Amino acid sequence: MSLFAIGVGGSGAKCLEALCHLHACGLLQNGSDQPPRLGTFLVEPDQQSTLRARAQTAMDRYDKMRSLLGNKAEHFARGELRNYGTWSPLSNASGAISLDQVFPKAVLRTQASGLAALFDCLFPPEEQSAELDVGFRGRPPIGSAVMSRISLASEAQTGQWQQMLSDIQAAAGAGDTPIIHLFGSVFGGTGASGVPTLGQMLKTWLAELGLTRVRVNASLLLPYFDFEGQGQEGTGVHAEARNFQLNTDAALQYLRSSGTSCFDHVYLIGSDIKARYGFSIGGRSQSNAAHLVELLAGLGLRHSLQPASQPGYAYVLSRATANQISWNDIPDHEIVGEGLSRGARFAVAWLNNFSLELDAAQKLSMGSFLSGAPWARQFFQPSGKATGTQGGRPSIRSTEELNLKSAIDAYVETLLQWLNQFSSNTGSGFNQELFTQSLLQRNPNYDNALDRVVKGSARPTREERQDMVEDIKVQMDKLTPEDIPHNGVAGLADTLWTLSF
Amino acid sequence: MRSTQYIWLGLTVLIGILWVFIIQNWIFLNLFSALLGQNLNVFLPQISSPSFTILWISCTIALLFWIFTTLNGKPRNAAEVKSMQPRWWISTILLVLLGWLSQLFFTVLIWQIQSASPVEGSGVNYYPLPAGGWLLVMVFVVLNVLLLFWLPTLLASPRTYRFVVPGAVRLLGGR
Repeated sequence: MSLFAIGVGGSGAKCLEALCHLHACGLLQNGSDQPPRLGTFLVEPDQQSTLRARAQTAMDRYDKMRSLLGNKAEHFARGELRNYGTWSPLSNASGAISLDQVFPKAVLRTQASGLAALFDCLFPPEEQSAELDVGFRGRPPIGSAVMSRISLASEAQTGQWQQMLSDIQAAAGAGDTPIIHLFGSVFGGTGASGVPTLGQMLKTWLAELGLTRVRVNASLLLPYFDFEGQGQEGTGVHAEARNFQLNTDAALQYLRSSGTSCFDHVYLIGSDIKARYGFSIGGRSQSNAAHLVELLAGLGLRHSLQPASQPGYAYVLSRATANQISWNDIPDHEIVGEGLSRGARFAVAWLNNFSLELDAAQKLSMGSFLSGAPWARQFFQPSGKATGTQGGRPSIRSTEELNLKSAIDAYVETLLQWLNQFSSNTGSGFNQELFTQSLLQRNPNYDNALDRVVKGSARPTREERQDMVEDIKVQMDKLTPEDIPHNGVAGLADTLWTLSF
Repeated sequence: MRSTQYIWLGLTVLIGILWVFIIQNWIFLNLFSALLGQNLNVFLPQISSPSFTILWISCTIALLFWIFTTLNGKPRNAAEVKSMQPRWWISTILLVLLGWLSQLFFTVLIWQIQSASPVEGSGVNYYPLPAGGWLLVMVFVVLNVLLLFWLPTLLASPRTYRFVVPGAVRLLGGR
């Protein structure tokens, strides 16, 4: 199955970051053994956006890890991911970075003076001249005006959309039922203007091509954060938290009247308890930490993979306790809880133990290392020779293996950082009973205890004393060669993934 | 601990008992009697048996302590596992020294403390063990420690301590 996720704006980028990690945890499966292919595409006018860069980093690292893993893993990181890149709606506006450059008033006055007057009426001077290289500054009307100029038919012929749209066509033509899922907030600027506009354009484009099997869904984020502080006098037009509710009301009204022309299903996710982010106009300074709401938005795509037995257009969620979220509040919590729990425990065990062990092994003879790490002989040559293989096992010092280890380290660090952020970034007076945030960080202390990494019902039902990395090493040592289809770092990561839960 | 390790532990302990209490005495009596002095009827029951019994008890206690420690250890990494290696060597050296001391005690010291002679009419208050006999019992003490401590710890060290005993990687490290 092919899935195409389009993140619009900063919150959309954060949702793609969450989606990448959900995919890595095997949570975008639709029941079949074959993991789906996930294509990701970012729509972001803010080319300096930290949020975009963070999502891009997660996807690039996952992609690099997957390409180095190849077919050498049965369970770990099976899902294929293709990142189609980032596209800016301002990229085809001949270098224009403000609204009055996108819609030159001199030209408007000459060709249609009424339109020029309407333009002046809709957009105050400061909005007309505001530079949009940091995004649409929390103003959906600016974004809508820019976005409405896009022609998907012409974008499909050239540019960054081309590859994704042709892949959608190819997947639909091959009898697949592709799903396009858009992500973005409805209370800011870029997402609020971009998501409905792009949804409608995609629906129209698909209808014109007769691709009626393709579904277009969206996860729309309602307000879930506030700003600490606000813009100064010289900041210019900027997003203001007091406008979030107004923007949301307008977006929901639009969805009520015209939503079905944009999306087949909509997932509305927000939070009454707001996380607090430092004020930012956009660009590099906007480094909002990951939030649980973005995970829930990503799970919207997972929900849409279920057989379409549940009728309904808009899906909403709630939680059991006012000031707390636990696994029981997460949709499909038994499977999602296990997947995320496995991911978190794997990340801690890998980064804070196995990876350090492999580093330490570089400074010892293999015999000396094995005397303290019998599990390693299952994956690496006991002789430790730098070249050749013995029973298919590579050397622990092989450059290829070390490159793969570095790629896994890099991706797992991203995963751990994301888990840490959404575990800590809950909002004032709000408590999460999902993970122990303090344990979700890289450290050189060879973490052994895994029992407290996950809280609540998603924690494996093992005794505390038997839920340690050392227990996993003992289990690895007991496996027969038939239980370990792949050797080397790939086999080690794959086996650790299986034994992590 | 694996089930095969329990079996190896049981087997090596059984072999150790047979060795100390039957086979070793038979070897002394039938193969090395010339090296052990004229009075084997005194040496075997009053010197060799009690001294090697003490060594057997010591090795068994050390073995149980080793198994208990490794079974309950939760090492975080290979370096922590390997930190048990010096302890193993210290235990082994102490057992060998204890074995030699035990031989000295039952051959010489106990008779001098009691002011008695093990061999009537010999005129000396110690067992007159020839130099070759001393060398033989010292080698047998080392053999006993290998059989009663090294072999069971080699075959039955549990969990990640499986290869920490000297020789384990070479002898058991294949897959």
